[in-house]
Amino acid sequence: MIDQNIVVIGEHFQGKLKRVTYDVLACARELERLRPATVRVVLLGDDVAGPAYEIVQVTGLDVIAMHIPGLLSYNREVYTGVLEDLLDVLKPAYICAAATTEGLDLAPALAVRLRASCVTGVERVLEVDGRVCFARTMCGGKIVAQVRPETDAAVVTVQPGSFEVTTSEDTIPGAVDIRRVDFEPRRSRSLGVTIGQAEDSGLQEADIIVSAGRGIGKRENLDLIDRLAALFPKSAVGGTRPVCDLGWLEYKKQVGLTGATVTPELYFACGISGAQQHLSGMRGAHFIVAVNSDPHAAIFNVADVCVVEDVATFLPLFIKEWEQSLPARETSTSDSDST
Amino acid sequence: MKTRRCPTKLLVCIKQVCETETSFLIDETGRWIRLEEPSAFRMNRPDEYAVEEAVRISETIADSSIEVISVGPARVSAAIRRALGMGAAHGIHIVTPEDGYLSPFVTASWIASFARNREYDLILTGVMSEDEMQGQVGSMIAELLGMPCATSTVSERLLPETGTVRVEREIEGGLRDALELRLPAVLTIQTGINEPRYPSLSKLLRANKYELETIDSRSIGDPEPPEQVIRVSYPEHTRAGLVLNGTGQEKAAHLLRILRERSLIQ
Ligand SMILES: Cc1cc2nc3c(=O)[nH]c(=O)nc-3n(C[C@H](O)[C@H](O)[C@H](O)COP(=O)(O)OP(=O)(O)OC[C@H]3O[C@@H](n4cnc5c(N)ncnc54)[C@H](O)[C@@H]3O)c2cc1C
Ligand SMILES: Nc1ncnc2c1ncn2[C@@H]1O[C@H](COP(=O)(O)O)[C@@H](O)[C@H]1O
Repeated sequence: MIDQNIVVIGEHFQGKLKRVTYDVLACARELERLRPATVRVVLLGDDVAGPAYEIVQVTGLDVIAMHIPGLLSYNREVYTGVLEDLLDVLKPAYICAAATTEGLDLAPALAVRLRASCVTGVERVLEVDGRVCFARTMCGGKIVAQVRPETDAAVVTVQPGSFEVTTSEDTIPGAVDIRRVDFEPRRSRSLGVTIGQAEDSGLQEADIIVSAGRGIGKRENLDLIDRLAALFPKSAVGGTRPVCDLGWLEYKKQVGLTGATVTPELYFACGISGAQQHLSGMRGAHFIVAVNSDPHAAIFNVADVCVVEDVATFLPLFIKEWEQSLPARETSTSDSDST
Repeated sequence: MKTRRCPTKLLVCIKQVCETETSFLIDETGRWIRLEEPSAFRMNRPDEYAVEEAVRISETIADSSIEVISVGPARVSAAIRRALGMGAAHGIHIVTPEDGYLSPFVTASWIASFARNREYDLILTGVMSEDEMQGQVGSMIAELLGMPCATSTVSERLLPETGTVRVEREIEGGLRDALELRLPAVLTIQTGINEPRYPSLSKLLRANKYELETIDSRSIGDPEPPEQVIRVSYPEHTRAGLVLNGTGQEKAAHLLRILRERSLIQ
């Protein structure tokens, strides 16, 4: 039996490989473990040589670099057009991309073109009754579904951070196969990538991040979040997308897939459900405390300490507890009823 | 470039979902979820932004009309009526027999076959459904209809006179990807693009009497689902997940002790 093909679509921008490509590769390696396969990485764009050589050096895999003059950033029409032709020849069993805004854009389109199934946000690969399945979460992270492709080919997007990225010391570099293709999109035109949001949010420097989700209920409760943050040295306030959408916090304070990625000593999540798109920005935090009134909230699955409480009542209690535990100051009136 | 006929026709795809705070139970087969009874349903939040965006477009473009479409069991008509209350003129309900897993490809195929000969200029969907979180339906509709598509749209400007729409897609790292798409096109709308309005009472009253266009899903094709859900389960904990017990105050005291032990707080 000949090995099946697995194709990884690499992400890159301005001549640099995006690290998320290694997450996708790790998923491809898992698939390879289940079924003998040849894993290839495909890159598309004007400026693909740099990322291609990085991949062959680090992973030892072969790279097909589709050099498309003029393609300075991802474009759906060009990617699907070029990939359709290439994949018709390679006939891969699995096409793996990242569960990023690029993968989200590309994967369903590619699946329709290739008459393949499409599984997004894959966190685990498993074998059930001799068949390969993918585990993904839904319902804000509360449910895991095992999805089984019924087609010859499957396009999957890989949730960053879900697979263990390993590197080996002495890999023999793979080969780079650069192929020039000209492709003029007819129905769309890229107008360039621009900066939408300044990044100086103070989140990166903070040791402690207190973060607000929709569960804080109303804008006024941000005051509680600020007061909680003030108890910690070197702290900053962050939030989820809905809180920014509602205008309660500026977008630069958003943590997650399309916001900041942070790794503080402590991440204090208040009224946050724990959707994957939020977790991708904070799962690297050293210690996670979550306060949520729903005992089944997904944030508790990644938390070190779980507090099932209403934020609006619990935070004042915590702040008061802290204040009362301080050594009495000269004018202090608070009694020491500490336990 | 071909000048397009007026009027401008918009189609918004909306999904009805259950409240996020709902307890999701696993059904007898172990293959799908069951909701606790009674459950509260509402319009998928990103779809509210999509409806709002359509209403804003139609407010700036004379001679335009908005239709909304939803695939699902009888209950989803409530979401359609809400969209009518927000300003859509016509509602289409593709009725499915029961709740259960619907492949995004199947949903997209039904909507695409409905939309195929109806000459929509712009089809809007939400970026992702809050329950299944596939992020697939809009993108697939575009591909099935051979239309260009932008996902995660955070700004758009429709230019019917040139037959184009200019959009910005939100991408990682605070960046935006600007595109120009030839109409007809599909946009999947990201939250935050606007502020969805509340339905007006007078429109809601009218919507409640309005007769929706209902279509039996079996009458518009029987696309084969390309994938199956074979099992659902609850996620595992990836960290210690120490659950604090006692009264609120006891939990506060316990949490403070933990944070002090770790020198995270003074
Ligand atoms: C392409 C894309 C990119 C995205 N990027 C991001 C991103 O960068 N960052 C991000 O955060 N999201 C992002 N999202 C959105 C993400 O999918 C979720 O919708 C979002 O993270 C949910 O935010 P939330 O937890 O605040 O709100 P919800 O999911 O509504 O959760 C609110 C939580 O508060 C709890 N709660 C309610 N009342 C109380 C109370 N009184 N006390 C305590 N708890 C309470 C509820 O139980 C619930 O768990 C993205 C989505 C897409 C499709
Ligand atoms: N059953 C449905 N009926 C109508 N539109 C839907 C349906 N399911 C999904 N959509 C649309 O597709 C978007 C993405 O959904 P999903 O692919 O499930 O994440 C939603 O925001 C809706 O706009």
